[in-house]
Amino acid sequence: MTPIDLTVNGERRTVPVGDDDLLLDVLRELGHTSVREGCGVGACGACTVLADGHSVSSCLARAVRYDGVAITTADGLPTDDDVVEEFVAARAMQCGYCIPGFVLMGHELLAENPDATAAEIDAHLEGNICRCGTYLEIRTALQNVVARRRHDDMARRRHDDMAKESA
Amino acid sequence: MTATLHRPRDLGAALDLLADAGDPMVYGGGTAVQILLKQGVLFASDLVDIAGVPGLADLAATPGGLRAGTMVTLRRMETDPLVQDRAPLLAQVYGRVANPRVRNTASVGGNIAHGDYRLDPPTALLVLDARIELSSSAGPRHVPIREFFTGFQETAVRRGEMVTAIDVPTQPLGGAAFTKLSSLAANDWPAASAAVLVTASATGGREVRIGLGALAPTPVYVAVPVPADASADDAVDAALAAAEPLIDPLPDVRGGVAHKRRLGRVAVADATRAAWADTPRDTPREEVPDDRRLTLRRLRRRH
Ligand SMILES: Cc1cc2nc3c(=O)[nH]c(=O)nc-3n(C[C@H](O)[C@H](O)[C@H](O)COP(=O)(O)OP(=O)(O)OC[C@H]3O[C@@H](n4cnc5c(N)ncnc54)[C@H](O)[C@@H]3O)c2cc1C
Ligand code: FES
Ligand code: FES
Repeated sequence: MTPIDLTVNGERRTVPVGDDDLLLDVLRELGHTSVREGCGVGACGACTVLADGHSVSSCLARAVRYDGVAITTADGLPTDDDVVEEFVAARAMQCGYCIPGFVLMGHELLAENPDATAAEIDAHLEGNICRCGTYLEIRTALQNVVARRRHDDMARRRHDDMAKESA
Repeated sequence: MTATLHRPRDLGAALDLLADAGDPMVYGGGTAVQILLKQGVLFASDLVDIAGVPGLADLAATPGGLRAGTMVTLRRMETDPLVQDRAPLLAQVYGRVANPRVRNTASVGGNIAHGDYRLDPPTALLVLDARIELSSSAGPRHVPIREFFTGFQETAVRRGEMVTAIDVPTQPLGGAAFTKLSSLAANDWPAASAAVLVTASATGGREVRIGLGALAPTPVYVAVPVPADASADDAVDAALAAAEPLIDPLPDVRGGVAHKRRLGRVAVADATRAAWADTPRDTPREEVPDDRRLTLRRLRRRH
């Protein structure tokens, strides 16, 4: 066993891992059961985590490689996370098994490309599988996040301008 | 049997392990190795994880193009402005591999060393005439990508060697296109793929360079001269005549021989037509310095 320094959702801890241990299993054993196994071969996205902000299939990742890396799992997102809220509002889930992966892929995409179009959303999510087939609602949810962040941004700017004027 | 994992901290140590271990295997991004392990078909005694070797993930401009260390991720090749500027076809093709998660993890060296006949990146590396740096404890040697894929799942990498870098010449002026046809999911392995680059030839005409994926036991390459004033239909016919003798598909769940042969023709025709349409009449052949080349390409893109 090798002790690695793992920061999961902002909480830093030292975790002993075996050379062959998958990041998927290590995270689940730590209680992060929003990280799920689907295909086990990189093709479905149920096991998605963000590693320093980049999406990774934890089913193909050896934990020893992630020493010192900041991991985000969907269960670590705040309860008022805008992506999660829009998924709920758009009723983008049935059984929910795939949803943590879609939510994190959405976060990665919108961090890189805040103005993502429907086609760009589709391209980024094309390697995630939802067996219940809520793809259209998932796309709508992410389009709504784009619109909401744009709106919040404008409101914030307007508020700042008004504060400047009255100062 | 589980293979012993080694995590060397410098290149010398990695190369020594490759020279001395019983049946060693390089561990790059691990996306292919992990699947082989799960399938129970990985028989290495030792895995040499090269993620901790300094310098192997460097991506840099060179006088004639760019150089990517073996551990540069496929996603970086897709998104880095250097690759997008100097070899836009290559950036485009890397962006079509698998899904963003696999591209965030997989490495450029592991991708070609995997040696699969269906890989996408080799199609672009072939038309761009990339050069592979292989290193062993005896030192480095260089192999043109056009000689790298030696047989079904076989490459020029010898025992004790590893890929350390890929050198890619700046994309010549002219049009380029990539067509990938999948018969299962859109982001699945292709049933047929073709990268095509149209550039000025030495004799004043044009050269149509074609790299094929999934259509033969290895990725394959062919180039054909076409007069500059040929019609798009004539260019497509010339490309198909050159490519067809190389198309020798393996049947699998993604399609039988006849189906893949048909898709192969469509991929070659579509990519050639798009690349030809994107090639200006007066495409110059003279060596243009990289900085001016970029300006030219940007000017052309605006049309
Ligand atoms: C779900 C999924 C879908 C995919 N779809 C596509 C697709 O559409 N198109 C496509 O092109 N590919 C596809 N792939 C394959 C993917 O491109 C490869 O798995 C990946 O590029 C391998 O890179 P890696 O760094 O992870 O290699 P690894 O898994 O680390 O290694 C692969 C092989 O290369 C060897 N190796 C690694 N690095 C070196 C080195 N430096 N020197 C010598 N040998 C080395 C290893 O020993 C092993 O034999 C897909 C993969 C997955 C999981
Ligand atoms: S379980 Fe990892 S991608 Fe499907
Ligand atoms: S909601 Fe059931 S798998 Fe996606």
